[in-house]
Amino acid sequence: MKKPSLKKYILNSRGTFGEYGGCYVPEMLMPIMEELAFEFFHAKKDPKFRAQLKDLYNNYSGRPTPLTFCANLTKKMGGAKIYLKNEGQNLTGAHKINHCLGQALLAKRLKKKRLIAETGAGQHGLATATVAAKLGLKCTIYMGAKDYDRQRPNVFWMEQLGATVIPVHAGGQILRDAINEALRDLLTNPQDTHYLLGTVCGPHPYPVMNTYFQSIVGAEIRKQLKREGAGVPDLLIASVGGGSNAMGLFYEFLDDPDVKLIGVEAGGKGITETQKKAQHAARFQTGRTGVAEGFQSKFLQDKDGQLKETHSISAGLDYSGVGPQLAYLEEIGRVKMTYALDREVLSAYTLLAQTEGIFAALESAHAVAEVIKRAPKMKKKQSIVFNCSGRGDKDLFITAQKLDRKRFRAYLKSQL
Amino acid sequence: MKLMTHIVAGYPTLGESEQIARTLLDSGSGFLEIQIPFSDPIADGPVIAAANQIALQNGTRPRDAFILLRKLHEYAPDKKLLIMTYFNILKQYGVEKFCRDAARSNCYGLIVPDAPIDEEAHTHYLASCKKYGLHAIQIISPITPETRLKKIAQAASGFVYCVARFGVTGAQKKLPQELGGYLQRVRKSIKVALAVGFGISKRAHIAALQNKADIAVIGSQIIREYQKSGLSGVAKIITG
Repeated sequence: MKKPSLKKYILNSRGTFGEYGGCYVPEMLMPIMEELAFEFFHAKKDPKFRAQLKDLYNNYSGRPTPLTFCANLTKKMGGAKIYLKNEGQNLTGAHKINHCLGQALLAKRLKKKRLIAETGAGQHGLATATVAAKLGLKCTIYMGAKDYDRQRPNVFWMEQLGATVIPVHAGGQILRDAINEALRDLLTNPQDTHYLLGTVCGPHPYPVMNTYFQSIVGAEIRKQLKREGAGVPDLLIASVGGGSNAMGLFYEFLDDPDVKLIGVEAGGKGITETQKKAQHAARFQTGRTGVAEGFQSKFLQDKDGQLKETHSISAGLDYSGVGPQLAYLEEIGRVKMTYALDREVLSAYTLLAQTEGIFAALESAHAVAEVIKRAPKMKKKQSIVFNCSGRGDKDLFITAQKLDRKRFRAYLKSQL
Repeated sequence: MKLMTHIVAGYPTLGESEQIARTLLDSGSGFLEIQIPFSDPIADGPVIAAANQIALQNGTRPRDAFILLRKLHEYAPDKKLLIMTYFNILKQYGVEKFCRDAARSNCYGLIVPDAPIDEEAHTHYLASCKKYGLHAIQIISPITPETRLKKIAQAASGFVYCVARFGVTGAQKKLPQELGGYLQRVRKSIKVALAVGFGISKRAHIAALQNKADIAVIGSQIIREYQKSGLSGVAKIITG
C-alpha cells in the first residue's frame, strides 16, 4: 500500500496535525478565522490569484532566489557538498516577504483596508510595511517596547514606509506581547483589518497558509538542483523560531523518504532555565505541549502553564512557542530537532562570511552552525542544502558589538 | 437584573483580591468571576492583562484560586462563584482534575474564552465540566453567525455570556446602539439566561440592559475603581 502523503496532511483544511494546531481563539475571532480559511483555500485554487502572486514573487521580490554551491566551505569541511538557498536576496532581505505578499493579496480579496502585524526584531514588520505600501493598504505594526527601543533602525524604516509603529508596554514587552496586542486590535477592528501573522504559528489557518506561501523555497530548490544535474539532497537544515523558513525549506521534500530534515533551535547561553525565564528558546529540549496564542504546540512553560521568557542572540528565534506542524513532524520522527548556542552561531556567521562572502542573518547562522557539525561526517558524494533565510546586515548593531566592540562603540560615540 | 462582577485572584495581592470579592458579594453581586492569572491573556484588555501580570509576579497559582473560592463560598454560600481563565491552565493542571477540584470548591461554572466547542475532541473540556456538574459558560459575539449560534446553543449551560461589542475587556463610556437587536437575535436560539459584558462601567449601562438581558457583567471597571478609591469605590459601582 502507498504511504499517505505528508505534504497533503500538512496543508489539511482543518489545521490539525495529530494533537497539534487547531483554532483556540475567543469566540469573536472564530468567524474571522473561518472567513480567512475559506478565502485561502479558494484563492489557492484560483489561477488568477496564483498568477498575481507569481508576478509579485518574480518581478517585485526578486524570485527565484539563488541556490549557491558553497565550494570553499565544502572544501574546508571536507565532507558533503554544501548548498545555500539565499532567501536573503529577497526584497527586505529575508524569506518573510513570501508570506507577506500572499497574505496581503488575500486581504485585498477580502476587501480589507488595513494590515496589522507583530514584530520582534522588526524584519516581519518591515516586510509587512513594504507590502502594505506596494498594495495600497494602511499598516499598523505592534512591537514589544523593549524591541522597539533596541531595534531603532527598523522602526525608522517601517515609519518611512508609511506604517504606524506602536510600542507595547504590557507583559515582558517582547514579541509575545506584540502578538497579544495585535490579536486585541483584530478583536476590536475585525471588519476592515487583516492580521498578517508572521510565522507558521497561531490559530488555523495561519500555519497552513504560511507554509503554503513559503513552500516556494523548497520547490525552487528541487528545480535548481535538477538543472545542475544533482539529485535530491541528502539533508536539509533550517533554523527554527516560529518555523516559517523551516517549513518553506522542508515542505517540498516531506514525501521524499531519503531526504533527512533537521531543524535548529536557539540554544542561547545553554539549556538552563529558572521558574520564569529560559536562557534559550529550544522548545524541543525542555518544552511541553500546551495551548496559547490560539494554537496547540510545544511551549516553554512552567508547571502551571505560564509561558516563559526566552533568550537568543537572534530576535527572530527568541520565542516560547513553535509551529504546530513542526511539533507534529518532530513527534513522528520526520524532522529531527537540535540547537546551536549563541557562541557557535557567531563563529558560524564569521566562517560563512569569510569562506563564501555571504553574511547570514543570526537566525540563519544557527543553520550554518549545524552544517559545520554535520558536513565533515558525511560522504563527499552526499549533499546538504541549508536555508540562509535572511541576510546579516540587519544585525550590525549586535554583531559589531560582539565582534568589534571597542571600535564600534567609539564610532557610535563619534556620531553623537 | 442580576449582576456578575470580576476579580483577578492575586491582584493586587491575594489578600486584597479576597477583600474586593467580599465587598462585591456584600454589595449585591449575585455572580462572581474569579480569574486565575495567565501569562498570555489574549481576550483581555490592558487593565485586566496588567492585573494578570502582577498576580503572577505575586506567585499566584491555580490552587490559590481554589482556596479563595472555598473561603468565599463559606462566606456567602448562596452566591454563584465562577472561575475564569485560559485553557492552558486547565491543560497543565489536567482538565478533568481541574474540573474535579473546581467542583469540590463549590464552583458554579467555568469561563474559558480560548476553549471553543470546535476543539472538544482535543480538549474534553465540555465533557469534564459535565462530569463534575459545572456549567461550561459559552460565549457569543455580535458577529457569531446564525449556524454557529445554534451549535453553541446545544452546549449552553447555566447562562451564555454575550460580548456586547467588538474588542477586548474594558470599560466604555457608551454601550453600542445595536445591542438590543443583537440580544433579541441571540434570545431566539439560546434558551438559558443571557449575561452581557465587555464595556459595562456604570449603573446607567445596567439600566439600559433592563428587559434585554438577565445578567450584567462588570469587569475591568472594578480594577479601575479599586486603584482609584479602594474598597468604597468598588462598592459604589454596584450600590450607586
